[in-house]
Amino acid sequence: MRGLLPFLGSRLLRAAIALWLVSTVVFVVMRLSGDPVPLLLPPDAPRSEIFRVRAELGLDRPLPVQYAVFLGNALRGDFGRSIHFRQPAFGVVLGYLPATLELGLTAFALAIVIALPIGVISAVRRNSAVDQTAMGLALVGQSAPTFFIGILLILIVSLNLGLLPTSGRESWRHLVLPSLTLGAFAMASIARLTRSSVLEVLRADYVRTARAKGLSEALVVAKHTLKNAAVPIVTITGLQFGTLLGGAVVTETVFAWPGIGRLAIQSIYNRDYPVVQCTVFLSAVLFIVINFCIDLLYGVLDPRVRSS
Amino acid sequence: MVEITRRDVLKTAAAGAMAALPGGLPRPAAAQTTQKRELVVAQGGDIAAFDPHQSTSSNDIRISFNIFDNLTSRRPDGKLAPGLATEWKLQGQTTWVFKLRSGVKWHDGESFSSADVKFSIDRSLDTTLKGNRVNTVLTTVDRVETPDPGTVVIHTKKPDPLLPARLGFYGGQIIQKKYVESVGPDTFNQKPVGTGPLRFVSWTKDDRVVLEANPSYWGGRVDFDRLVVRALPEMAPRVAALLKGEVDLITQVPPDQGERIKATASTAVAGALYGGLYVLAVNSKRPPLDNPLVKQALSLAIDRETIVKELWRGRGIVPNSMIAKGDNHFDAAQPPLPFNPAEAKERLKKSGYKGEEIVIETTAGYMAGDKPMSEAVQAMWRDIGVNAKVELFEYSVRAQKNRDKTFKGLWWSDPTSTLRDPDGMMWRLLGPGGPQDYWRHPEFDELGAAARLSVDEKFRGDAYKKMTKIFLEHLPWIPVIQPYEDYGLQKYVEWTPDPLQQLEIRRFNFKFRRA
Repeated sequence: MRGLLPFLGSRLLRAAIALWLVSTVVFVVMRLSGDPVPLLLPPDAPRSEIFRVRAELGLDRPLPVQYAVFLGNALRGDFGRSIHFRQPAFGVVLGYLPATLELGLTAFALAIVIALPIGVISAVRRNSAVDQTAMGLALVGQSAPTFFIGILLILIVSLNLGLLPTSGRESWRHLVLPSLTLGAFAMASIARLTRSSVLEVLRADYVRTARAKGLSEALVVAKHTLKNAAVPIVTITGLQFGTLLGGAVVTETVFAWPGIGRLAIQSIYNRDYPVVQCTVFLSAVLFIVINFCIDLLYGVLDPRVRSS
Repeated sequence: MVEITRRDVLKTAAAGAMAALPGGLPRPAAAQTTQKRELVVAQGGDIAAFDPHQSTSSNDIRISFNIFDNLTSRRPDGKLAPGLATEWKLQGQTTWVFKLRSGVKWHDGESFSSADVKFSIDRSLDTTLKGNRVNTVLTTVDRVETPDPGTVVIHTKKPDPLLPARLGFYGGQIIQKKYVESVGPDTFNQKPVGTGPLRFVSWTKDDRVVLEANPSYWGGRVDFDRLVVRALPEMAPRVAALLKGEVDLITQVPPDQGERIKATASTAVAGALYGGLYVLAVNSKRPPLDNPLVKQALSLAIDRETIVKELWRGRGIVPNSMIAKGDNHFDAAQPPLPFNPAEAKERLKKSGYKGEEIVIETTAGYMAGDKPMSEAVQAMWRDIGVNAKVELFEYSVRAQKNRDKTFKGLWWSDPTSTLRDPDGMMWRLLGPGGPQDYWRHPEFDELGAAARLSVDEKFRGDAYKKMTKIFLEHLPWIPVIQPYEDYGLQKYVEWTPDPLQQLEIRRFNFKFRRA
């Protein structure tokens, strides 16, 4: 691969800048959102007690000093101690990460496994009943809010039909509803984009040529269409991973799934700065890494990307 | 101390979706008895700490009051019963002698003694202890002596009639000196050892806490082998988990969901009248709220019966003063706060009110029903010609304003009567220097201070009667409702809820109905 090093280098530099920006924004926004100390103490706590706790948490120092300390420590992987859990924030967040990865990757895999074939079939059998049903469902999946889908699934699948547990994280059965809920949006987007992308390629000259050669339709789709339709699909799939991380906040709360999405929302309510900063930082890393991989994948799929 | 009910948009939307959908399919005849050996409880949030000195939140105390014991025990009926102390008496004005229960063992097999009590009280007051959240609870204590392993003598700085009550609530849990000193605060907080009816087994963060029965508990072994406490933050899934039978007991059931639970054959609702009040606290320093006539008019204009009936579906009562029903010195002869719009208009006229804006600041869902109640009250006040306005704010903004004392007019407060006595609620908040000190009255202040330091209950009762009269004239709070706190449970659960949000599962209060 020609020019791989400069390519990698520029990507890494961009990733570092993105991480720094994300951390700074979170740092500032959290400080703007209010003081955690009144939330930690009983409402009748005396002022002296408030000052004592502020000092204990290092919140009495000037903001630039707090920021410098935060950046310095973050470079060493130290995000400070959680105000709520009273443990190192990094350890707290790492403890929640496996649950989110399990849910996110399952949702991601489900979305791809279900959406890709549906998108291709819808394109090939355009305007058939299959296409219309699938695209109708995709519209619902894309427009219904995550919590609504989640609660609907709990009511229908768990409560009325009694097929799966309502919430919690124990066996694979507990994973089905949350991952369908979380994956719904991505599934819908990928299915719709796959359909339009495949449709476009099906109209291309080289597909007409392939058909004229007498190739079977299955071979035309499999060999000549899919790879050419793949670039936009891969792009949207990578972007959908970010949506999944965002959706995890709601899905994990509805299904009581102990992951970093729920941790983030709780920590925001508790004004637990260190945990929020660490969660956002790790999510950003995850998102950047996935998109980095997608960038590399472009090169594999489309030689023109490599040479340009 | 009512815990944060989720306040984002999800909650309302989820409730709406749940209410709009048909109920579950008809189920086979519901099980009214069980052979279960495991009790599963779902509450709205995970715990933050096991160390009882590090937390006062209701999610935490539901667990810590079952791992640890206090010297005295506040029962769900509101009475104070013996705990690790079998008896206590006051000698003179400031010396309390507690006789300790003999033969009590810690979960690790060590023997409980007076040294543990002294260690616990001293530690609760230790301001250098990182994360200490209870060091304002036992501040009346001067020093603790341990003349022998079975006796504790507590000297108070001034006479403190409520010391036994203070020792019965948060801040008063007894921890083991030897264990805490040998493992340190962090390990203690992860692996607590107590004398209580339940022993710690495991904690999976934001998922579940598992505890097991202490077989040699002095109060008798509990009626199950294991307790699992799950954190289910959203109300709709929490109710669904109960209806499906995945959990046996859920906390924080709002009135509309209660009806759904009651309509299901296998589940029921149990409520306790909240040990406290929901009030509109008043910034009496800001005109026109510095005028007692205006406040009287505002109070008379609120149709509390309708609020109870329509917004709470009957799950509450109308208060009669600043003292909650169930507390010491609650005067049952005092009539509920009246609704009289004609008289309200009259007093408003007499006050010289000129249409100044009166603002209710409210969160949406931090306190159950805060926003809808604000809107109802606003409409009632407009009916008598008050220029009332409702402003929404975030919980953290509320906390900040509470600290800085910068509320614009009125705001919701849900004071908890932690000692089941006016001193622990009304005086703690409204007294000089208290967090809701926006109004002073020399006679009120004198009576409050005298009642705090008197060990003569008759004297205290008279003082609170006089204070009630002054309160009703000046209204530093406008009390609105004393609600029920509802729990959902399977019908095979026999259990009485606690007004102070503890989860009392000891033998005397919890039983599975067996076939």
